[in-house]
Amino acid sequence: MIIRGGIVYDPANGIFGEEMDLCIDNGRIVEDAKGEVIDASGLLVMPGGVDAHSHIAGPKVNTGRIMSPGDSRMGTEPKTAVCRPSTGYTVPNCYAMGYRYARMGYTTAFEAATPIIESRHTHEELEEIPIIDKGALTLFGSNWEVMECVRDKDISKLAAYISWGLRASRGYGVKIVNPGGGEAWGFGSNVKGLYDPVPNFDVTPAEIIRALAQANEMLQLPHSIHLHFNNVGKPGNYTTAIETLELLKDIKPSRMRQIVHVAHMQFSAYGGTSWRDFDSQAPVIADYYNTHNHATMDLGQIIFGNATTMTADAPLEYGNARLLHAKWSNHDIELEESSGVVPLIYGRKMPINAIQWAIGLELALLTKDPWKVLMTTDHPNGGPFVNYPEVIALLMSKAKRAEEIATVHELVTKRTTLPGIEREMDWNDITIMTRAAPARVLGLEDKGHLGPGADADISIYNLKPEEVDPSKDYKLVKNALSLAKYTIKSGQVVSIDGEITATPEGKTYWVDAAVPKADMDRLMIDLKAKFERYYSIKMSNYMVQDAYVTRPMVIKTGEQVSEAVQ
Amino acid sequence: MITSFEDVICSFCGCLCDDLAVEVEDDKVTKVRHSCRLGANKLMGHERIKAPMVRAGEDLKEVSYQEAYDRAAEILLCAKHPLLYGWASTVCEAQKKGILLAEEVGGIIDSTATVCHGPSIMGIEEKGMAGATLGQIKNRADLVIFWGCNPAEAHPRHTLRYSSNVCGRFTADGRGCKNVVVVDVRETKSSKNANKFVLIKPGTDYEVITALRLLVASKDDMVPDEVGGVSKKDLAEVVQVMKASKFGVLFFGLGLTHSRGRSKNIDNALSLVAELNAHTKFVVMPMRGHYNVGGMGQVAAWETGFPMSIDFARGQAYFNPGETAACEVLGHKEVDATLVVAADPASNFPRSIVDNLANMPVIQVDPYQNPTTLLADVVIPSAIAGIEAEGTAYRMDGLALRMKKLVNSPFPSDEEVIGHIIESVRRLKGTVSCNDKEA
Amino acid sequence: MRTITLRPLRAIGVPLEAEKISPDVFAPLSLSQIRSLEAFQGNRRTLIADHFKVEGDEAVALVEETTIRLEGDFSRVKRIGENMSAGTIEILGPVGMRAGSGMKGGLLRINGNADDWLGREMRGGKILVSKNAGNYVGSGYRGEKCGMRGGEIEIDGSAGAYLGEHMCGGTIHVSGNAGDFPGAVNQGGIIVIGGSTFLPGAEMTKGTITVRGKATVLPSYKKVEEIQIEGLAYQKYIGDLVENGKGELYVALG
Repeated sequence: MIIRGGIVYDPANGIFGEEMDLCIDNGRIVEDAKGEVIDASGLLVMPGGVDAHSHIAGPKVNTGRIMSPGDSRMGTEPKTAVCRPSTGYTVPNCYAMGYRYARMGYTTAFEAATPIIESRHTHEELEEIPIIDKGALTLFGSNWEVMECVRDKDISKLAAYISWGLRASRGYGVKIVNPGGGEAWGFGSNVKGLYDPVPNFDVTPAEIIRALAQANEMLQLPHSIHLHFNNVGKPGNYTTAIETLELLKDIKPSRMRQIVHVAHMQFSAYGGTSWRDFDSQAPVIADYYNTHNHATMDLGQIIFGNATTMTADAPLEYGNARLLHAKWSNHDIELEESSGVVPLIYGRKMPINAIQWAIGLELALLTKDPWKVLMTTDHPNGGPFVNYPEVIALLMSKAKRAEEIATVHELVTKRTTLPGIEREMDWNDITIMTRAAPARVLGLEDKGHLGPGADADISIYNLKPEEVDPSKDYKLVKNALSLAKYTIKSGQVVSIDGEITATPEGKTYWVDAAVPKADMDRLMIDLKAKFERYYSIKMSNYMVQDAYVTRPMVIKTGEQVSEAVQ
Repeated sequence: MITSFEDVICSFCGCLCDDLAVEVEDDKVTKVRHSCRLGANKLMGHERIKAPMVRAGEDLKEVSYQEAYDRAAEILLCAKHPLLYGWASTVCEAQKKGILLAEEVGGIIDSTATVCHGPSIMGIEEKGMAGATLGQIKNRADLVIFWGCNPAEAHPRHTLRYSSNVCGRFTADGRGCKNVVVVDVRETKSSKNANKFVLIKPGTDYEVITALRLLVASKDDMVPDEVGGVSKKDLAEVVQVMKASKFGVLFFGLGLTHSRGRSKNIDNALSLVAELNAHTKFVVMPMRGHYNVGGMGQVAAWETGFPMSIDFARGQAYFNPGETAACEVLGHKEVDATLVVAADPASNFPRSIVDNLANMPVIQVDPYQNPTTLLADVVIPSAIAGIEAEGTAYRMDGLALRMKKLVNSPFPSDEEVIGHIIESVRRLKGTVSCNDKEA
Repeated sequence: MRTITLRPLRAIGVPLEAEKISPDVFAPLSLSQIRSLEAFQGNRRTLIADHFKVEGDEAVALVEETTIRLEGDFSRVKRIGENMSAGTIEILGPVGMRAGSGMKGGLLRINGNADDWLGREMRGGKILVSKNAGNYVGSGYRGEKCGMRGGEIEIDGSAGAYLGEHMCGGTIHVSGNAGDFPGAVNQGGIIVIGGSTFLPGAEMTKGTITVRGKATVLPSYKKVEEIQIEGLAYQKYIGDLVENGKGELYVALG
């Protein structure tokens, strides 16, 4: 296939809006090819979108569906010759998940958090999501074995546990959510900050985070630790954000990437002491990112309207439910984690929501280097991913921001700096924040760029970047980005003008990290005891079996470590 | 030659015990250890349907599998509104095929939750559910409440493995460190194991739960001297025990889902548990009956957006319990053909509904004969999931496990059978001549 | 005034979904076009004319000037009058599920029994039932905060369970008894029950429920005072206190 004459943005390879042809063969970008020609003359061409933080599959997501039939009803679409029936808005069914990402030009999405023991469920859902490539990040932050390794300062055993846990869950990387808090929540409490010891385990969140970061680098995992801070969602929590980032700055990454990726920074950029004096501290966070290079973040931008919050930060969800008098689901997972789900509505005229909305945008606009900032809504916590074009249009147009600001609660002007921000992002910035950077942050070498050898995942939009001024024509920008003119996945056209034309099945990435046999042996002693005494199932029934990952993309690491064993 | 299997997962109830030891000889299960009597009976098996059959006149006559698949496809294609029912005693892989079949033939798909925990799901839709995995309960719960359920008889190993009679990390003294409260309309085997038995008048669960909520919120003066036959003193004692616990769990069963109030009872109980969390840690869990009814709910939710009672007649998913549930559509004669997989509606549904079932074509897919076989027009024997066919099942707490294949079998799995019916449907669509008796 | 009459051609087996039977849909169409409107019977796409004899005025009219008369047994025809905004539907006979669902205006008059889900998520307009209605009259969709937000429903006979559950506005009047849990989780609206019921206003936070017969009242309803309304003595309650509710419940005394 040849894509002719598009205006290509491929910042990873230094291409910033050049008219050029793209050649595809055998599912990859190549130098030369024959075959079908797609006329993309003058149209915006980018690599397929990569969503590095989204809740797309697993027990929490399904709980969200089960408890909100109204949400499923909202997004109901009939089946077609190619598509199965779709439902859902904030919690789409698996088919809608794939179709809607693909229609928007996205071709890869990663599940942000899967608990090891329930990863079979996560993979059952991932298998059912059509078109996109995917992976899942495995939760480690409140895990008994993790905390005991941390307490004993045994980083090599911890690394063995991560290796084992990634294999058991077919996970891609190390996800940490409110570390220690998931265990405290087991008896209904929480950790109050980085140095608050976890009851019954005598380790602090700070120790857990540092140890996991060290183990992550020992294993040379493609992705860094992926961290949801303690105190997310609390006024004044920006200090926890800075403290935690400071905690990690001396650790050396094992690859050319960040040492920590921070999830949904918007929810951790809060000043004030209560909801009454709550304000934005995005400038402080952005300033930190402008002066330090060891961290990346994704936004977690709010979209007004319905959302479903779902997170392994179970105490946060309990708090949400009590505050909003909302439906509340909770699920604590033996020896490993906790989670909560609360559907809610973000209102323009609600002062808190208006400030939150501004904070996400501030973070993006005030951080100078777009390579450090991934554009997400923490789907569906901030809002459903189908609204990404809205966020992009806001980032590219001060006029659109002004128009929106005029409709939201006036506290936005007093408590945030958004109204005064002049910066308007360009296509280069956007391509970085939605394609190139997420791929680099995750360590996906064949994604997010269009150089030879890359996966032929391409989005072509019905928009001529040389004729359109995104600053003024923001409506056109939003419309064009909502339904790609063409979405190409592994060299196959899957969507044309918003209609799905093919539903190939994507691959599931996971990481197989080798560790020394001696460390694995020491780990197994601990695990055998835990399965005998505490788990409610047998170790032989615990691991995710091959049957659940039928199209795996396995990334092997740690080969350089001596006496490596699988 | 005897083969031994360890860590076998039982395919009877929602406990999904995964520690069974099974011996197999000549492709038959000869010995089962560690399980309860119910699980052992299931795994040991009994006489089963030998071949596919199609009804000709009064009798069922043997046919080939392909004939049976084609006849089933014809019935489903000719139906204006077919119902695909059951699914609770087979694996997720078959359930997925069932949903695809329902989409293709434009029918309703529903599980046995319609006669079981459907009201619980409806309650969760109103309130959400504060839950945990069973291992969490094993390790932490010092208060176990059983309301309207009798685990001693229906989930025999529940108390030993997960709830009241088990030790865990923070419950090292096992039964000795736990308080057990049983709430029911009569004494049961389970109430004999209780520290406190609360006898309530039938049909008063909702009011009793409301009274407990008032007491939890310290609105004691609102509560009359007696609610549902329970004294205020007893109710207050229960609440005191709840608040004094470190981790309480409320397990509930059909006594709550099927007595007056039904889904309202559940949603009230869910709120009670949510409100208790302001005082102490509390979780709640429905005691799912069939081993994989939970799985059907999960699979249906991620594939269709809804956990049960989904109507695809209009080419898109429509969910409205109170209208689209199996009991309801059969009762109102809204469906004109039924496929029954891994269930026995003739035994479990009210008489009037079974009569309606008798007046329409019925296809049965099951390893075993049961009263539903008497109504069936097509009978397709399948392999026993969890013994002869592997696949996924979800425990009552939502945990997924992979059922093993222990023996070889000449029978196709449920997944294969439904897959073949789908093939026949696709092949025969547009060519079948139906006998339209009515508009 | 334009009047169009439909009469069933024969008994209906698998129910019809006939959401196209609405003044909004019929008003601008010719009779021939009306006959060609689709109605689904299960998964079969059929036409109105396949099931009904259609007669009446040919000339198109405004929605508010259009009356549809349904004469006969419509008990197995669902979704009649769905989302209608004006005009009239008169049914001389029983009507099927989800009649008047999402109604915004106009009049739906049923001279017979109405099946479940009558006036679900109603917004405005008026529904009259000469006999009995089923479960879920004026209710909402599963798990959603607000069901009925406006309009009036009057039932001369009795109604089933969950009358007006999740109501946020509007009025429902039942002359006879109402089944279990009327006015559950209400945040507004007025319900009047001429006969008896069981556990009215469960988890109600606002709104008014009046019961002229007997009622089993929840322990979470606080007795306020005895009061006379239109010559009848009532016990007034405030509740539901499990939700710190300020709903008003009146139950007849004696």
